[in-house]
Formats: sequence, C-alpha cells, structure tokens
Amino acid sequence: MKLVAAAKVRRAQEAVVNARPFSETLVEVLYSINEQLQTEDVDVPLTNVRPVKKVALVVVTGDRGLCGGFNNFILKKAEARIKELKTLGLDYVVISVGKKGNSYFLRRPEIPVDKFIDGSNLPTAKEAQAIADDVFSLFVSEEVDKVELLYTKFVSLVKSDPVIHTLLPLSPKGEICDINGVCVDAAEDEFFRLTTKEGKLTVERDTIRAETADFSPILQFEQDPVQILDALLPLYLNSQILRICLGFTIDGAKPRLLERFWRLLLVLRH
Amino acid sequence: MTLNLCVLTPNRIVWDSEVKEIILSTNSGQIGVLPNHAPIATAVDIGILRIRLNDQWLTMALMGGFARIGNNEITVLVNDAEKSSDIDPEEAQQTLEIAEAALRKAEGKRQTIEANLALRRARTRVEAINAIS
Repeated sequence: MKLVAAAKVRRAQEAVVNARPFSETLVEVLYSINEQLQTEDVDVPLTNVRPVKKVALVVVTGDRGLCGGFNNFILKKAEARIKELKTLGLDYVVISVGKKGNSYFLRRPEIPVDKFIDGSNLPTAKEAQAIADDVFSLFVSEEVDKVELLYTKFVSLVKSDPVIHTLLPLSPKGEICDINGVCVDAAEDEFFRLTTKEGKLTVERDTIRAETADFSPILQFEQDPVQILDALLPLYLNSQILRICLGFTIDGAKPRLLERFWRLLLVLRH
Repeated sequence: MTLNLCVLTPNRIVWDSEVKEIILSTNSGQIGVLPNHAPIATAVDIGILRIRLNDQWLTMALMGGFARIGNNEITVLVNDAEKSSDIDPEEAQQTLEIAEAALRKAEGKRQTIEANLALRRARTRVEAINAIS
C-alpha cells in the first residue's frame, strides 16, 4: 500500500521532470526576447495591467476524499478570498478544477462559476490547456481584469499552505507574484525528491535556476516581436498552470502515504 | 551537417532527433528549414509540421507556439503536438464535426473565440492524417 502511494509520487515527480525541458527553454527564450524588446513600446494583451473591476478565481482541489484535509482548507480559503473581494467592492467569478471543488460549488448556486473542469490524478497538458483557454479568453475579452490561482503549495511531508497567486496579468519580467505582491523569479524551479533519511520518509527540495544566458547571435524575428510574444505567453501560462497542478498531485499523494505508514507502524508495534 | 529537431510540449518531449529537412507552418506562411539555416525566431501557427527523414516525410499536428532555429538546432515549443500516426481518423473527424457545430451555435465574442480555436485545432488534426505524402 505504501508502495502504491510512493509510486504515485514518483510518477508525479517524473512528470515534473518531463515538464522541465519545455519550461526551461521557454524561460530562456522569454528572457532573451524581453531583452531585445526593452527599448520598444510593446502592447502585449496578457501583461495588460488595468483597473480591476472583476476577478476570476481558479480554485484547484484534489479528487480523492482522503485528501479532504487540505481540500477543506482550500475551499475555506476560497470563501475567505471571495469575502475579501466583495468587501473591496469587486465582482468575481470562480473556475473550479477538481471533483471536490466542483461538487462544493455545485451545492452553492449563489457563487457564480464560469466553468467546472474535472481534475484527474495526473494532470495532463490537455487539462492545463482547458484552464488556460478559459482564463485566456476571460482576460483578453476583458470580462475579467485579474486572474488568481488558489492551490496548495507543498512545504514538507506534514505541511502544506494554501496559496493564492496572480496568474494574469503576467509580469513582463516573467515573475510569478502572490496577492501580497511578493514575487518569485520564474527562472527558479523547485523540485522534490522523495527519499529516506535515517529510516524515515522525507522530501528534499531543491531549487534549480534555469540558464538564462544568450542563446546565440541576435535571432531575426520572422514576425513582429509583439506577435512572437503573443505566441509565447500562452505557452508560458500553460506551463505554469501545469506545474502548479503537478505540484498539487505530489501533495495529494503524500497524506495517503503518511496514513499507511502510521498504520504499518501500529501493526508492527503489536 | 546534421539538423536536430526538438519538439517540446508542456508535459513531454515529442521529438528529439536528427532530421534532414522540415516544413513549418507559421503565422506568416510556411518555412522550409534545411541545414545551415539562418538563425530565426518565429511564432508557430496551429498547423502541420512536415518532417523529412531520408526520403520519407512524416507529419505532425502542432497546436500553436513558438520555434527557434539556429546552429542547426530547431526547437519547437507548442501547447500540444500529435504525430499523424497517433491520431485516430474517425475520432478526429468526429471532433471536427463537433467543433463545427459548436461554432455555429456560438454567441458572443468569448464563445466565438473559443469555438474558433477548437475548430482550427480539430481541422489541423484531420489535415495531418490526410497530408501523408
């Protein structure tokens, strides 16, 4: 049983590793194009900062009941954020991802939901794409002015924090910021390794910084730099969403792991 | 001189090996790439990528993104990519019909944008199967 959950974590880790070539190359390209565009007055819809009247809140929950602990946490945090937004006089809409969240919001028709997206145990690019598409069209059509993503950030085997990140507008420097304005460089990527230390299961975290050196002599742009950025930013959005969902999967597997571990210990003690 | 092609999607590496030539669909037309091509950066449209290995051509459906070419390295970053051999013709045709119907029913700017995107993707997948040469 422990092996099953450990296998899930390993698969999720593999998925994170598989996702890295894409996001590293993307960040590298974004940096170098951004350098070349510093002097130009560029209007890129996805980085458009405008006065906020309506916010889209993407709420990501896990599928299994066993992770109920932090699903409840997330939904509570979502309700708290909705209350905050209302107090600020802002309109809002929810995009729910994951069966738990979906059934929660279905039971509460007073909360406006734009879309229900089914999660799965190992999110694929198609799901990230569905979220990105919805979020993209809401933002670009100016139906909403800000998109926030609410999910669980993995801290350690026994601790997770529900976090709210601003997904859109994208920061032109490729940073990911939370709602308090604390920003993290997108070139940094955390990954987790499940190992044992002194017979105990632990997770080690490493931060890898992607190389952002110049790729080659100045690349000639086939189209207008704005069109190129237009093509890059949705890719960036997709990969960020996928990264976050994958991190969430690793999270989901670990409470089950712990639970089985304790049960095994109890059995051994008797 | 060998040309290396790398096709990456957010969750996997779809292709990473040598090719003889490629033809890429971009927003400003098709680009043929042979060894020693000049370094360029281009947006990639939702469309077909043709790859030549020796005398054989194979096709891939790309769902939009970006490509950079230089030093005999082609890196294509796309939202999704499917080799034509991996696409089920019946399923692709059905998806196309569903997308066409959805576009006819679409109301408002947002639904139309989404429906158009879905249609272009579905069309590309069907073209990929038919474009085997």
